[in-house]
Amino acid sequence: MSVAAAPAAIVVENLAKRYRRAVPGYQLRTLKSALLDRSLVRDLAPGETITALDGVSFEVGRGEAFGLIGGNGSGKSTLLKVVAGILKPTSGRVAVSGRISALIELGAGFHPEISGRENVFINAAVLGLERAEVARRFDSIVEFAGLGDFIDEPVKNYSSGMYVRLGFAVAVHTDPDVLLVDEVLAVGDEAFAHKCLRRIEEHLGRGGTLLFVSHSLSLVEELCDRVLWLERGTPRLQGPPRRVIDAYRLAVAEEEGREHQAAREAGSAGEAGPSEALRWGSGEAEILRVRLLDGAGEERYHLQSGEAATIEITARAPRALDDFVFGVAIATPRGEMVWGTNTDLAGFAPRRFAGEATVRVRCPALRLAAGEYQLDVAVHARNGAPYDYRRRLLALTVTEPRPGVGTYSPEHRWESEGELDWEPPRE
Amino acid sequence: MLSIAREILRFRGLLLTLVGRELKARYRGSVLGFFWSLVNPTLLAAVYSFVFGFVFVPRQAAGTDPYALFLITGLFPWIWLSTSLLEGALSLVANAGLIRKAVFPAALLPIVAVFSNLVHFLLALPVLAVALVVGRALGHPVGGWSALLLPLVIVLELPLVGGLALGLAALNVHFKDVKDILTNLLTLLFFMTPVIYPLAAVTFRPLWWVVRLNPFTPFTLAYQQLLFFHVVPDATLWLQMAIGAALGWVIGASLFARLSDTLVEAV
Repeated sequence: MSVAAAPAAIVVENLAKRYRRAVPGYQLRTLKSALLDRSLVRDLAPGETITALDGVSFEVGRGEAFGLIGGNGSGKSTLLKVVAGILKPTSGRVAVSGRISALIELGAGFHPEISGRENVFINAAVLGLERAEVARRFDSIVEFAGLGDFIDEPVKNYSSGMYVRLGFAVAVHTDPDVLLVDEVLAVGDEAFAHKCLRRIEEHLGRGGTLLFVSHSLSLVEELCDRVLWLERGTPRLQGPPRRVIDAYRLAVAEEEGREHQAAREAGSAGEAGPSEALRWGSGEAEILRVRLLDGAGEERYHLQSGEAATIEITARAPRALDDFVFGVAIATPRGEMVWGTNTDLAGFAPRRFAGEATVRVRCPALRLAAGEYQLDVAVHARNGAPYDYRRRLLALTVTEPRPGVGTYSPEHRWESEGELDWEPPRE
Repeated sequence: MLSIAREILRFRGLLLTLVGRELKARYRGSVLGFFWSLVNPTLLAAVYSFVFGFVFVPRQAAGTDPYALFLITGLFPWIWLSTSLLEGALSLVANAGLIRKAVFPAALLPIVAVFSNLVHFLLALPVLAVALVVGRALGHPVGGWSALLLPLVIVLELPLVGGLALGLAALNVHFKDVKDILTNLLTLLFFMTPVIYPLAAVTFRPLWWVVRLNPFTPFTLAYQQLLFFHVVPDATLWLQMAIGAALGWVIGASLFARLSDTLVEAV
């Protein structure tokens, strides 16, 4: 799609949104006191503020699907509301061309006390549809939502799935030029989610534009042409879905790894009980440090499946040893061993270890399946008598673009021939 | 202010739907629903008629005979005004879910309150008409062709009521006591408007000016002249109504526009 040729459907330029901070006691502010203190103007002027968005710029072309990702509180929903026109930008510019239909929150825009039928008319009127137009599409809306007789019940009696179904049905049946969708699809069941996705794809096929917010990264990847990653209200990275989502996953995993590690260190520094079970041995050799490195020699807590990985052990023998074995093992958090090996199994015959030494085991491609893993490291005698045995020393997160199940993920690809047709995954 | 008027005009279909919904919600579940919108003003009229027609018979009330008729010609429109402002002021807070989470033209909500109460007022007009016919049959020179100008006064009063409802609604989002202040203010205004007494009965000159300058007074006078005194209001009174309408809309709508940027966050 030629974004440059067609005028953009959504233009966001250097957008900032600041909320007024809810100063304690502000809610109790009364007109009486404002008038008595002559502070009416001051009370209505923005005071202390919280920045929800800052310096956000992007353009979305017609027919393009644009995804927003980021952690909780990163400003995704605020951005969606500003684009929808619900919130006004504090500074910067937002321009949307064409009719917008927004699905922002569960049951938003529905009146609980009145029937689904009347709500459909009100909702569609808000979206700019004439009454006759709504009447014409009414049956197809109800059918899409799968509500049946429930359409004449007050909306307050609906289940959350019904809310979403009706909201989505109205939103897509108004033929919007721009569709804004927040998280809500996660509420419906699988079948409805598929129906929605098909409908969104139709919408895109017709040249409609999509702005999509979700925590489901796989859905974002599947649906979107470009993705913006927001972090605490500021743009972190924008580009093709794969690149942005991988970078985001990596950042999240690194963060988790660091937290894991911090928790572990705090744990072993604490009381002796649990940490003793994680470390034992005679002390004839001592493990000083273990690091997980990537192909470039950088320390990592997170790897893509199939990436090069090196486990580096630095140990010290206070007195000279002539019988020593270095071993590593990778296990799942539940303690199931995935893989283990040691220098003895590999055929190294020990001669002398005195003072400090570093041993590395390099894997050109560590083909673990996506998931969490833990690393055990040991130095022991050939008969197995431990000098220093450390369990769960490192936590490691492995991700895959299209994860399978289990713990092993060999390099593979699918092929087919014969009477069969399918759509291969989009890259 | 004009942009708000344009927005309301653009969503007139939605306005109609919402007013219809409002009325249906009120009348649903009660067979006598429709009659309740007559009972309330009629009861209020009965109380005032009793108090001022029989208990405290005003000395200066010359020309207001029959008093009950004089009273309802001013009282019914006043009830429209006061309920519109009260409901309008609360409309944004009451529909917070609608404007906070969905793309919704917030300016419509106070206007919905104004129009749905206008419908109640219009539904009460047959009572007024019957009363006037009975009064005429009893030999009082009330009603007449001048009553046909009534829609014009109502249309002129719309911007005043609508503008004030908008402004009050926006204020009520930011300050939680607007409703309490408004309730008291409306009571005060009610007695400052010549509804239960004729303007001529105010003999203390400064007070007469206060009542006369009250922006709602020209409208009340017009209703009374058209329906009770069988008089077509003069040009000055029409002008005063027009000025009141313009001022009410400008002040209320610009207050709403000024506060509209922060409305969604504060509600």
